[in-house]
Amino acid sequence: MEGRLAATTRPPFRRAITKTEDALGHQMSQHTTTEFETTAGMSDACARGLRQQLLACADTKLLLGYHYGEWTFGTPELEAAVASCSLAQAELGHVRLLHAVLAKHFDDDPDALVDTRAPEAFANVAFLDHPVEDWTGFVAMNYVVDLAVTRLLHAFQGSSFKPIRMSVDKMLDEERYHLHHGRGWFRTLAARDDQRATLERRTLDALSSVAEWLGPASEPGDAALVGAGVKSAANAAVLEAVVQDVSGLAAEVGIAVDPALPSDLGGWAADNRRIAGGGPDDEILFHLRGTKNEVFKLA
Amino acid sequence: MSQPEVYEVFARKAHDEELKHVGSVNATDDDLAKAYAWTLYDEERWIEMCVVPRRAIIPITHERRVPVWGN
Repeated sequence: MEGRLAATTRPPFRRAITKTEDALGHQMSQHTTTEFETTAGMSDACARGLRQQLLACADTKLLLGYHYGEWTFGTPELEAAVASCSLAQAELGHVRLLHAVLAKHFDDDPDALVDTRAPEAFANVAFLDHPVEDWTGFVAMNYVVDLAVTRLLHAFQGSSFKPIRMSVDKMLDEERYHLHHGRGWFRTLAARDDQRATLERRTLDALSSVAEWLGPASEPGDAALVGAGVKSAANAAVLEAVVQDVSGLAAEVGIAVDPALPSDLGGWAADNRRIAGGGPDDEILFHLRGTKNEVFKLA
Repeated sequence: MSQPEVYEVFARKAHDEELKHVGSVNATDDDLAKAYAWTLYDEERWIEMCVVPRRAIIPITHERRVPVWGN
């Protein structure tokens, strides 16, 4: 609707972003900005920041998809197995959408992004670097990490960068069920005396990892994205929203989640969104890349 | 741990269709029921889907009870 109005009533490369309510009930900001069909016309900081954040979302979804897929077997109940499989498919579909934008606008090669990058180049939430050892860890991943990447994508809703604006609504629509699944299992585990302490610990680990991933408040690339209307909220606000969501649900079920989020992000790198380097375990990348079946790959 | 309960799942593919019963799921709360229903019964492109806790359904007919019109 907004796109059609823009085409008929406004000059082709300008549009108004009206105040709307996002899927989680938050008011989005109101601003008028230049629309970008490509990265041409963006400042270097903005274009660089855009690639970094899209890659961070794609890498996180790639690892989420891997872990969800791995947990298709071993869930506590059959419905959760089907759900995990479905969540994996959705995440991998979102990776394809994001990789298509990265390929078209940043000359990234989607195959190379998955198959040949060094582990330290991956910009996923570090919580996903290692195997998810137990169901409680799965629930923390599902609720907290998946929520964080969804919250970041929310900030791209109504983006002045048209290619991402055209993709983000589909992703957010599908993510609603990921959130339902995460919240439902968080409540279920919180009701168990033998799981509450573990759930609290895993949740805090996941939140800390998410805070590192979103980066320092003064990150120049993030500020440039907000300034150009590519995003409606800075990552500091995204983190605040995630913490608020998680703390709210935790309080509802009697768990105190008071995250000691990293205050000193010295040494943080925007390319891999980590303080001290690192990346997914070799074994995870071996399976994720299908290294064992490399010989069967289509040329 | 909260006990799972049965939720009945209803859906329709078009606005001019009636909601029809497509199955059921076991879930410990409404959030999980929504997630399970959406992921289990995704064989169609539903335009509407909803879940109802079975306990909220008020039965009108009962097994072993003779209908009032029956002889």
